[in-house]
Amino acid sequence: MRPSPQASDTAVTTPDPRPRAGDDQPTAPSVLSAPIVQLLGIGKRFGAVRACEDVSLRVQAGEIHGLLGENGAGKSTLMKILLGLVVPDTGRILLRGEPATITDPSAAAAHGISMVHQHFSLVDRLSVWENVVLGDRGRVDRDRARTLVREVGRRYGLEVDPDACVEDLSTGQRQRVEIVKCLRRDPGVLILDEPTSVLTLEESRELFTVLRRVVADEGKAVILISHKLDEIVHATDRVTIMRQGRVVARRATADTDVRSLAREMVGRELSKWTAASAVGALDALIEPGTGEPTGGTALLDVREPAAAPAPDPRPPAGEVRLRISDAHASTTDRRPLLRGLTLEVRAGEILGLAGVEGNGQAALGDLLSSLLPLSAGRVEVCGAPVVAGRPGAMHAAGVGIVPEDRHVSGCVLDMSVAENLVLADLSSVTSKGLLSRRRMAARARQLIEEFEIATPSPDTPMRQLSGGNQQKVVLARELAAQPKVLVAAQPTRGLDIGAIEYMTERLHAAARSGIAVLLLSTELGEILTLSHRVAVIHRGAVVGEMDRADVDTERLGLLMGGQAA
Amino acid sequence: MIDDLAMVLASSVRLTVPLAFAACGEYIAERAGTINISVEAMMLGGAFNAVWGASLTGSASFGLVFGMLAGLVIGFVHAQFSHRLSVNTYVVGLALNALVLGLTSFLLDSVDLTGHQVDALNIPVLSDLPLLGPVLFAHRWPAYLLVGVIPLVWWLVQRSRFGLELRAAGENPQSADVTGIDVRRRRRQSVLLCGVLAGLGGAYLAVGEVGAFNQNMTAGRGFVVIAAVIFGGWTLRGTMAGCLVFGAADAMRLALPALGVHLNSQLLIAAPYLLALLTMMFLAKTHRQPAALGAPFVRGIV
Repeated sequence: MRPSPQASDTAVTTPDPRPRAGDDQPTAPSVLSAPIVQLLGIGKRFGAVRACEDVSLRVQAGEIHGLLGENGAGKSTLMKILLGLVVPDTGRILLRGEPATITDPSAAAAHGISMVHQHFSLVDRLSVWENVVLGDRGRVDRDRARTLVREVGRRYGLEVDPDACVEDLSTGQRQRVEIVKCLRRDPGVLILDEPTSVLTLEESRELFTVLRRVVADEGKAVILISHKLDEIVHATDRVTIMRQGRVVARRATADTDVRSLAREMVGRELSKWTAASAVGALDALIEPGTGEPTGGTALLDVREPAAAPAPDPRPPAGEVRLRISDAHASTTDRRPLLRGLTLEVRAGEILGLAGVEGNGQAALGDLLSSLLPLSAGRVEVCGAPVVAGRPGAMHAAGVGIVPEDRHVSGCVLDMSVAENLVLADLSSVTSKGLLSRRRMAARARQLIEEFEIATPSPDTPMRQLSGGNQQKVVLARELAAQPKVLVAAQPTRGLDIGAIEYMTERLHAAARSGIAVLLLSTELGEILTLSHRVAVIHRGAVVGEMDRADVDTERLGLLMGGQAA
Repeated sequence: MIDDLAMVLASSVRLTVPLAFAACGEYIAERAGTINISVEAMMLGGAFNAVWGASLTGSASFGLVFGMLAGLVIGFVHAQFSHRLSVNTYVVGLALNALVLGLTSFLLDSVDLTGHQVDALNIPVLSDLPLLGPVLFAHRWPAYLLVGVIPLVWWLVQRSRFGLELRAAGENPQSADVTGIDVRRRRRQSVLLCGVLAGLGGAYLAVGEVGAFNQNMTAGRGFVVIAAVIFGGWTLRGTMAGCLVFGAADAMRLALPALGVHLNSQLLIAAPYLLALLTMMFLAKTHRQPAALGAPFVRGIV
């Protein structure tokens, strides 16, 4: 579990022992100095899973270095190794040319490595300044901490009120706090893990402006982990591409483009819009917008010839299958979740509900899984009102749901595939209160075949299936119940490209067969690929709605950010 | 009439004091994320050990120290089991409560205990005030420790570095861990602190108020303490108010017959617990507990 013993050679200027031809020319000004971070031959296994294998990475001071790869390519593991949260099995870490062992986050902080986590490391009920000084040593000095927050905020353009309670802040502001928390320690290396997944377009632009300032003015290094090609192309100087735990390419960003990056990331040529949806290259879906680039860090001005095929011709408007009118709901401690949400989904169409994470999508998912009662408003399925919050009511009325987190509410990991496949519809395999294992197995075999679920046997525990196959089980179960309405919440989150393609096809097929499909997603690319109609959710209400053909990203972005447009 | 009132109020305060010590400890433990149900065991163990220590040394004041030590030992066992070995904290608490009840009952028969009681301290001048005097300024001396302990606990939790890390551990242990805080250690420390304070509370009950130990003498006061923390919505001020409410209910139980009001005595004994149940029913939903209260912390996926 310890780094390999070869660490005895301590030559400071040893070049990378395994140089790769032609791909290691740094573009940053500090070509001659030792790289600020150098990882050599890092390997890490989790049980049978190889998260990283022989990974080498060099990052120079003064550059934004992109780390690109699909979900599960090993990017996050690699950064956790650098941060001391995971101990590598093999390989060495050199910091400014010196070998280093990093055993825990505070050691990493001492070496000047700091990370902005994908799901923030903030404590909601503490104030901003308390969060910022958390993890320090010594006496707590409130006034100094406040001044510090203000100062760092001014220096980088990240103003935030030090006395505000973190739970009252918007997601964008929380990220500011997170970044202030990192920058105040004046780190040499700042790592950002998928920083824009919770931000609006506007907030993302601001973020990259700040990062550029950090790099240009202070000679820090930034490592940007992302699976979004757009971001990588616009915000980075160099990029390292990972696939299945290995580094497959290193490029200077200027010499590359979205298409070739996409090809290298997924390892094959993809149909234009599957790729675009999978990697978040919005401009491949939309004609380049006329948005003004802000200081060279605009997200959306790729001049790629864009053919944006509408997914399907708009189907004839069917009858309204799902109608939610003026729905209000709040948490047990009276924080509002839904504030007058109104929407309609018709038979045969896919309605994409776009929005930044945390604006009520989860509550809507809960509502349609009968987990959330309403304080006002009503839900109608096929014209008949359904009591919200009564267990099983939505399912009985014909609402199928592929929930946001399949591990929490989609399936039971320790039960078998067959059991999971019949869980929602036990009456079809029971008689007189007794479960017929024979009928259950027959039904499972049929669904496994129909939905191409890769499982050794119907009796395999769900836990042993890959994420994509678990999702197929959930989808198969819901579609087998022949729903009137299908709700898919983040259906492709955490899946590989193949599984994403599969889900995309299945959802289209479901719509074609006349089911009303409601797609909740925070990935705009996914929404644009799949939907016939797009609605935007903000702070628990639908704030705008448009046909797929009329979409323009600027307007969508503004709506998602809560500005009327 | 005024004498009756003074008597009831003074007895309320007297019965509140042991609860208040223990509740300070439970407040710390819960803010760090442990629902420490072994607070009952800590109080009972503290009470027994205080009398035993006083019998051995001949000094009731030394008895208080023995009581705190008993609480500390029980806290140590609880902390090691639940925040090092990751045993379910409720199971550990139930086991400790049963163990200490049995152990003290057994030892009560096998060791010689003599009655000891700490001295009363009447504050000059102030204790002569009408009504307020006997209620607030005529108690056994350890009761006045609360005047220091309560602000100290508040400062510790709300203003010190230790308290900041402790609150972070109770609200969001994953974030705290990523930030470089040893979550389990903070939680163990908070349970130890709870042990000392609950032990002191139990000891005060034994060598402060009663002057002797009898079987199961805390009789569920530990659970009343947990109710007081919930009643107070996990604030120290509210917790102390809760202790006062439950202390007063206990005092009424003793005072009503003396005042000539005749109620079913079993009902009176049950009254404080009924009150606790009622308040929990109304308050448990509106108050926000520490987000990770009762959730074990395992380092791992961030």
